[in-house]
Amino acid sequence: MSDKEIPVLTDAALITCIVQRGVADDIVRAAQEVGAQGATIHYGKGSGVRERLGVVGLAIEVEKEVITIVVADDQLDRVFERMYHAGKLGTPGMGMMYVTRLEKAATYIPHEIVERLTQRQARNSSGIR
Amino acid sequence: MSIKIRFGTFIQEIAGRERPLSYNELVPELQTDAGGEALPYRPDRLQLRPAEVYAVIQPYVGVRLLEQLRAVVPLALYLMLFQLLVLRQNVTDSTVITAGLLSVIVGLVLFMEGLKVGLMPFGQIIGTILPSRSALPTVLTITLLLGIGVTFAEPAIGALKTAGSNVRAEDAPYLYALLNQWADVLVLGVGAGVGLAAVVGTLRFLYGWSLKPLVYLTLIPTIGLSLYISADPQLREILGLAWDCGAVTTGPITVPLMLSLGIGIAAAAGKGDSSLSGFGIVTLASLFPIMTVMLLALYVANISSPAELIATAAASAAVDTGTLAWHARTPWLEVIGGIRAIVPLVIFLLLVLSMVLREKLSKPGEITYGISLALLGMIIFNIGLSYGLAKLGGQSGGLVPAAFTQIEIVANSPLYSFGFGILVALLFAWFLGFGATLAEPALNALGLTVENLTNGAFPKRMLMRAVAFGVGCGIALGILKIIFSIPIIYLLLPGYLLAVIMTALSTEEYVNIAWDSAGVTTGPVTVPLVLSMGIGFGNAVGAVEGFGILSMASIGPILAVLGTGLWIQWKIRRRHEQSEQQVIATPETVT
Repeated sequence: MSDKEIPVLTDAALITCIVQRGVADDIVRAAQEVGAQGATIHYGKGSGVRERLGVVGLAIEVEKEVITIVVADDQLDRVFERMYHAGKLGTPGMGMMYVTRLEKAATYIPHEIVERLTQRQARNSSGIR
Repeated sequence: MSIKIRFGTFIQEIAGRERPLSYNELVPELQTDAGGEALPYRPDRLQLRPAEVYAVIQPYVGVRLLEQLRAVVPLALYLMLFQLLVLRQNVTDSTVITAGLLSVIVGLVLFMEGLKVGLMPFGQIIGTILPSRSALPTVLTITLLLGIGVTFAEPAIGALKTAGSNVRAEDAPYLYALLNQWADVLVLGVGAGVGLAAVVGTLRFLYGWSLKPLVYLTLIPTIGLSLYISADPQLREILGLAWDCGAVTTGPITVPLMLSLGIGIAAAAGKGDSSLSGFGIVTLASLFPIMTVMLLALYVANISSPAELIATAAASAAVDTGTLAWHARTPWLEVIGGIRAIVPLVIFLLLVLSMVLREKLSKPGEITYGISLALLGMIIFNIGLSYGLAKLGGQSGGLVPAAFTQIEIVANSPLYSFGFGILVALLFAWFLGFGATLAEPALNALGLTVENLTNGAFPKRMLMRAVAFGVGCGIALGILKIIFSIPIIYLLLPGYLLAVIMTALSTEEYVNIAWDSAGVTTGPVTVPLVLSMGIGFGNAVGAVEGFGILSMASIGPILAVLGTGLWIQWKIRRRHEQSEQQVIATPETVT
């Protein structure tokens, strides 16, 4: 039992974006340019539009990269839009993306930032009262 | 009271050009049969507008084209600019060479894609299923045969045959015989070497053998045989070819296919997870063929005398002066070459699949598409090989000596004083090797693996530079060998002795990395270019044979990487010692 508090982040959302293998790095870079903090990429195989395209479908890679990015609610739409355009997701077979609301998240948060935020929260709550 | 608006809502308002659609409206309604059961849903073919078809195909073609452009264009530009600026000679047949280089690029794009779509699935199926279904001897036999098959399909192997037409039978009868009458047997011998290497490499995975004793055990007979051959003045000329064959074998089709099989076998035995399991096969595949080629040369020497060979060569030359048969003229020669390279391999793979494994291919349409692409790519690449790469390489190789010696075709040669001219030629060779190696995509992949393997102690960039530096020095040495006609054994013996000593001093990881790095550097663009450059160079300075540059380019990176590895080991050890000393000196900082 540790008496140490865990700083938990709220108001977060998860963007999951599935694209053809080799494209993920560009999309992650685009997302980071508009403030996304980090990204995880894992590999998988996918099917869908490719099978319905006939000969043209051969140009689409079966192996996929799955990008997951945790963003704050406030930046969600901007990051989402940027990633959509960076991945050219409007083109058939390029991939898909979706957003999931997150209940809470936790990671390393620099000590002084936690301090500052808790102080601000305390001030706000006392001001209301 | 101020109005409070959430920033997120604001952003959504100004940037949000989203139009919500309900997914429910997109999903199809399932049809039911008479009994009320849902029928399986089959989606319709999508009809794309032309612009959408373009949008799908453009990145697919673009990425692959760019990859090959990056490998070919800088090298070709370098050779042409060097010729224009330093040697002040016009590039002859520049239209033919440009068209040839273009077909090299197109051919490689098609071939690589065909390889991925059409041949790799075989490798994966066979690699995963075969080891668990068949007994070890069967698996190893198939590995051996596959080694021969992939060698015939290797694009760079065609360069050897092209190179053969430039050797004069009177100067080096055995070399000429090996490259002409015996050319197919030569490739077979190289293939047998590769197959054997795959077998030994697989056994190594299975039983966890260290690579060091294998390297020693392979090198001792190879060097011994080289010494024996170098004592014979007639046979001596084939040494360069034999050692070059090692470098030619390890290309874009051998490495992935043999590796997937080897790793599959190791995984089936529950030993696939070692971080080093991918290594070793490449090393052995670049050493064993040297041995088989030398043995073949000894056999040829045994059954025929030099005089006989010269006579046969003269006879065939006399026939050649007439009109060539249809199958020896240009488009057909390459078409036949391409079919002979790909079709036997495919038939063999199909036989293994249907007779031994009794498996069916999951996507026959795609596989057929891939194989046709590979075949078409091979044919186009072969045409480009003889008219683009070999021609360009031969031309620059033939002109570079003008820097230091007199050459008929260059009016005011020598262009520079002897010493400076040789320096120019060496610098030319060094930068050619350095640049071509850095551009090789396989090296990039190896660099990443190595960085992971050594936990970042050996960064990717450092490995790439070490290998490129080694190749550059190797090629420069090879040029020096041709200029002063140094017997190649004088260079190979000390080089490999040094490599053996450094191998004994290094840890297993670095040994694996270093010996494998020699194999990956020689791709389908570099090999023909360097090979034909060496031969053109050799002809211009009047050397008997221009082989040996590639073998120098193999030992160079081995030494460079082993050296870098030893340096890193030493650095790490010193840092440990220093930190220990600091701990002793200032104990209070630790507490």
